[in-house]
Amino acid sequence: MITRRDFLKMGAGVVVASLLPKTLFTTTEGASGPLIGVARGESPNLVKTALDAIGGVNKFVKHGDKVCIKPNISFAANIDCGATTSPEIVKQVVELCLDAGASKIILLDHTIQNPQLCVEESKIEEAIIDKDRVNLLTLTKERQFGEVQIPQGSELHSVKIAKILQTADTFINLPTAKSHSATGVSLGIKSLMGLVWDRGALHRVNLHRAIAELGTVMKPDVTIVDATRVLTTGGPGGPGKSVKLNTVITGTDPVAVDSYCVGVTQWYNKSWTGSSVKYIVAASELGLGEIDTSKMRITEIDV
Amino acid sequence: MAISKTKRHRMLRWIIQISFLLLFIFFFVQTRYGLDITFQNLFFKFDPLIFIILSISERTIVTAALLSIFLIIGSLIFGRFFCGFICPLGSIIDIFDTHAVKQYKISLSVKNGKYLILLFLTIAALAGSSFVHFFDPLVIVERSLTLIAYPVVTYLLDAFIPLNNAFYTETLIAFLFFVAIIGANIVAPRFWCRNLCPLGGLLATLAKFSLFKFTFAEHCEQCGICEKICPTGALQYTEATIDSAECIDCLRCLYECPYRTIEYRPTVTRRPFDITRRQFIVACGTGLVAAPLAKTFLHPKLNGRLLRPPGAIPESDFLNICIHCGKCMKVCPTNGLQPCFLEAGINGLWTPRLVPRVGGCEKNCNMCGQVCPTSAIRKLSLEEKTYARIGTAVIDRNRCIAWEQDKVCLICDEACPYNAISSLNETIRSTTLLRPFVNERICTGCGLCESRCPIEGPAAIEVFSIDEERIKTGSYITEEKKRLRACEERQEDIPSGFILDDN
Repeated sequence: MITRRDFLKMGAGVVVASLLPKTLFTTTEGASGPLIGVARGESPNLVKTALDAIGGVNKFVKHGDKVCIKPNISFAANIDCGATTSPEIVKQVVELCLDAGASKIILLDHTIQNPQLCVEESKIEEAIIDKDRVNLLTLTKERQFGEVQIPQGSELHSVKIAKILQTADTFINLPTAKSHSATGVSLGIKSLMGLVWDRGALHRVNLHRAIAELGTVMKPDVTIVDATRVLTTGGPGGPGKSVKLNTVITGTDPVAVDSYCVGVTQWYNKSWTGSSVKYIVAASELGLGEIDTSKMRITEIDV
Repeated sequence: MAISKTKRHRMLRWIIQISFLLLFIFFFVQTRYGLDITFQNLFFKFDPLIFIILSISERTIVTAALLSIFLIIGSLIFGRFFCGFICPLGSIIDIFDTHAVKQYKISLSVKNGKYLILLFLTIAALAGSSFVHFFDPLVIVERSLTLIAYPVVTYLLDAFIPLNNAFYTETLIAFLFFVAIIGANIVAPRFWCRNLCPLGGLLATLAKFSLFKFTFAEHCEQCGICEKICPTGALQYTEATIDSAECIDCLRCLYECPYRTIEYRPTVTRRPFDITRRQFIVACGTGLVAAPLAKTFLHPKLNGRLLRPPGAIPESDFLNICIHCGKCMKVCPTNGLQPCFLEAGINGLWTPRLVPRVGGCEKNCNMCGQVCPTSAIRKLSLEEKTYARIGTAVIDRNRCIAWEQDKVCLICDEACPYNAISSLNETIRSTTLLRPFVNERICTGCGLCESRCPIEGPAAIEVFSIDEERIKTGSYITEEKKRLRACEERQEDIPSGFILDDN
């Protein structure tokens, strides 16, 4: 149901969009589909541009908020490989949140390889300037995770998720777009596995469906996909073929974001759509979002 | 309140002892991934026992402990000052002695023990085996810190900061060993130092010839205080003798004699050894028997799961050169390096081995070789380390859930940083699915796959010491290996996560 307020907001958005010069962007106008923001280029405003396209950072981060950001630092891989979120993109997101008035920012991940080595290789600590308000936290203990029931689950009935998320006002998912030997691609929803204690449990059941079920209990306020360089083969840990796309994709609908991202490049030297990825299809079937790119309102901007 | 002169001198010695102990512990704490390790082996560099025994057993000059020449010269001038002031084990023993168990002292002296153990070590080394790791005090402290203190401290600190708790399989044996050494204080103060320590025995031998000795001046009043306070029983006031071999230069007699009778000055008198022929023969005989016994303990084909750290020199040399100090296990960021029990024979107790189920060998880490005080694990560059093959991963298809249960797992493929695991389509019972295969030509045996395997109990992919490489000199990097790694493009089938019909 659309409230009057939503209607007015939408109207305002359309008016603002129509005032901007046409050469800068193209907008696929659906009626009420999810907003997708896409920014391409090497500008330090890449994330800001992509976020502005879906309403701006202030829509998600309010003054005084405690913000949890989940970058992907699971592997101790070189930052150019694309197995981890680029420190430059992390820096841009962090600074936007700080400008929006975030009181505390926690960057967190439950790394696959040794946490110390992963943090070192991720180069994120060097990118953080305001060390008082921004912390990088790698989860290592079972007690840092709390049991959450999955009402819609058929593969997974409960899962242990990072407790700190419950204390956050805003949860930003900041994955890197990469290929994945099991799931094909690893994008937003797949990346949520990085905040689960026993990831192996998902592999022991139907992995694709389990990831989608995880998406029913972990709902990021916004997903920002780092596709500045994309590991298109050899994922998730590399080494593999890395493609430079200089793109950032944003959206609040996790299925829409992932589905759109599948189309930004070839994977395993072939073209795919969101509906050819099992975990995205499963997530769509669970009603987590829109899988059809033609129904999305996509704003693509070159900066 | 004025502090008496006696107390001041006692305190001064305490301060020096504690400072060296703290320095030793500081180096231990600093033995961490990512930290500068330039000075961390300083104590071991000055250890003449390690220098002599390792050099004899390897028939070469072990340069790692060459600086011990200075301790030998120092002892020839001043006596056993190392035991009284510097030795961390001596200081620890003193801590327990002064506070806890003084009243239970029973006099007992088997002081020849230290010479006999030294003799045993020397003969065994001549016969080709080094046993120095069981008896060297510096090694005992370093190992006890790693295997006992480190797990306990991380466990306690964990209440405040989430840490990766250190865990070691042979902590109990190290603990019993340590408790026995400290507990021997009940029998006599510094029981270990006086009677058993072979480094003490070596320095005592030097101290017999030392230039400076403690001696009685003419005017002794026979009050007997000095004999009562001497911690090593070196002094007999009735005969006015001080055995320079037993004396650890603690200076107590010098400062606590009310008549200032005792002096420290150049002296030539010297006491002979009083080792009996029987003792001599037993020590030599034990050495001659133990050396070959240690080498014949295990059949090499039983060693399939014995994975040495990357860069470990060939096994027979490794067992001699490794002093079992545990530094590599302390520094290993994944905790995968664990002490052996008897997997490598009697002499392999506490030697490092990689247990991949606990933690694999990370690609970007070469710390074990960096911290090894004797280069039993060679200092390899990060790149060369990745070429030092420690074994080969083998998949047990009966346990693997991708093979046996048609699950989309492939975590081993995900974990492998060398692309040595390929996921290829394989049809079993009419189900076509990606299943993992090991590319044996480029697998290094790092064990990251084994550590991540999600099944319960033993992993379905395990590393065996198949094709392990152990070279003493020369580079692990060869053109052939480089070529293999470059041209072996990972074979990849389309992941099962894609719906193929759609395309």
